[in-house]
Amino acid sequence: MEASVELYLAQAMHGLVYGMLIFMVASGLSLVFGMMGVLNISHAAFYMLGAYLAYSITLFLGSFWISLLISPLIVGGLGILIERYLLRKVYRRGHTAELLLTFGLFFILAELVLIIWGSAPLRVAVPKLFDGEISLMGTTYPNYRLFILGFSCLVLFGMALILMRTRLGIIVRAAVSDVVMEEALGVNVSSVFMWVIGGGAALAAIAGVIAAPFVSTYPGMGFEILMDCFVVIVVGGFGSLLGVFIGSLMIGELQSFGILWVPQLAMVFQFLLMVVILIIRPTGLFGEKA
Amino acid sequence: MNLHRTYPIAGGILVAIFLLVIPQTLPILLIHLSTEILYFALFAVSFNLVFGYGGLLPFGHAALFGIGAYTAGLLFNHLPQLSILPILLIAALSGLVAGFLIGLFCVRLSGPYFSLASLAFQMFFFAVALKWRSVTHGSDGMGITRPGLYLPLLGSLPMGEVQNLYYITLVLVALGIFTCYFFLKTPLGNSVVCMRENEIRASFLGYDIFLTKITVLAVSGMLAGLAGGLFALFQGFVSTTCIDVNMSLIVLLMVVIGGTDYFLGPVIGAAFYLIFQDWLSGMTRHWWLFMGIFFVFVVLYLEGGIIELFKFGKIRLWISKSGNKT
Repeated sequence: MEASVELYLAQAMHGLVYGMLIFMVASGLSLVFGMMGVLNISHAAFYMLGAYLAYSITLFLGSFWISLLISPLIVGGLGILIERYLLRKVYRRGHTAELLLTFGLFFILAELVLIIWGSAPLRVAVPKLFDGEISLMGTTYPNYRLFILGFSCLVLFGMALILMRTRLGIIVRAAVSDVVMEEALGVNVSSVFMWVIGGGAALAAIAGVIAAPFVSTYPGMGFEILMDCFVVIVVGGFGSLLGVFIGSLMIGELQSFGILWVPQLAMVFQFLLMVVILIIRPTGLFGEKA
Repeated sequence: MNLHRTYPIAGGILVAIFLLVIPQTLPILLIHLSTEILYFALFAVSFNLVFGYGGLLPFGHAALFGIGAYTAGLLFNHLPQLSILPILLIAALSGLVAGFLIGLFCVRLSGPYFSLASLAFQMFFFAVALKWRSVTHGSDGMGITRPGLYLPLLGSLPMGEVQNLYYITLVLVALGIFTCYFFLKTPLGNSVVCMRENEIRASFLGYDIFLTKITVLAVSGMLAGLAGGLFALFQGFVSTTCIDVNMSLIVLLMVVIGGTDYFLGPVIGAAFYLIFQDWLSGMTRHWWLFMGIFFVFVVLYLEGGIIELFKFGKIRLWISKSGNKT
């Protein structure tokens, strides 16, 4: 191949963009798990729902940007309702019941999406502002992907800022390290749970909205991101935001280059990585507890 | 006579008669359904051995089922001189070995870590089955020519007939389920429950947690492998659907709906699931939605699964609780 350097560069960028998308979904999943010990499987359905809502809102209201605003609000509200009226009922019965519940919810949401929007892939138009390509180090690159990259970095910094510099962040981080102690100190933990699940759902929906023009929406997208998130969380370690970030980028690049070099085995690589990590370091690269 | 003994024996005889007359009385389609219920019941029992008794939730149990199915399928096609029973035995053994190997890597993890690790192994095997086309034919799957079964007294039984397939499945599934039942009655089986209840205490009492968990997975793998082999034999066709995530999720649904607290819960769950699915899919394309809603309903309001509904009077003893009864 002649243009190999450019090709590798484009592929690396692609991996980076996809990695950032995974990060936005996986970080919410990891945060909720760290706090409550719930592996919220329905989280992936929130991502899918966000993308499909983006399609409908863009269609009816004519603006991608409105959907970026409304869709996370709807999905976040749904997350809050699910926590308040369903998940809360099974806390006392332990983590297995919670896991099974969110697992059932994932299926219901996925099937509802299939009923409402059908099984054909739907294309969301790239917003006009970021239509087109720019030339980047000798190769052309779509503007929209650069927007995804920039926007997700913005979200990442926003999240880090909230978690590390605000009172709300302190409460959330305290809940991750010891919920019982925090409740004893007078924090209304059950309301914190509700808002964190809602916030995580909204974040997943944001990822879904900005992913929609990039990957186009299809019914399997929830399940696919779920698998990627699982791998990311195991590789990076539960409850560690840095681990999720590194893990997401690793999986993004691994998929991107796997398809380029050995398309036959691209699927095997990430699970092989997961197995290897589990054997060498069961807590994940940055995790503390197993 | 002691009622504690009469009820189980009478119940057992009734169920046995019912199972034996199914092929003589029901139409072909229902015999098909009954056979499916049988091998899925075995698969569900093997799942519950790990989940209900061992306290570990495997997300990738279809790996063991699929390995059994592929082993049987490949042997049927490449070693036609072998008879059905040895082939199914090898399928069960392949499940045992796979369960042992997966257990070796996974059982040191607990909670969701174990679930995800088992899922990773399943996805790995799924990817191999999908991509190693020269052997497995990928998602196209491979057809199987069933050899006849020769029995000393009955002569040669052609396997094209549904009734014969039903009977051989019934015998082997019963064998598998009894194996599991008696395994749980052994001291080793008791130590599994002990370990689930309190791992630290069990290890202080001198039980080797690591080895116990691996044994559970290996035994469960053997039963799942046998179920997979029966699946291959009955369907006459093996493709990636028998090793994909869906299969893992279906068995999870069956077991939770049926009830994990009782030995026969998964059997009832498998029967209920398949009948419900058969009925729903005749009415609507979106039967998954109703299955999902029903599943959530069971998780929320029917903690012990639908077997709790059968729990009246002395029957409770017959269905044998998996808990710590001493």
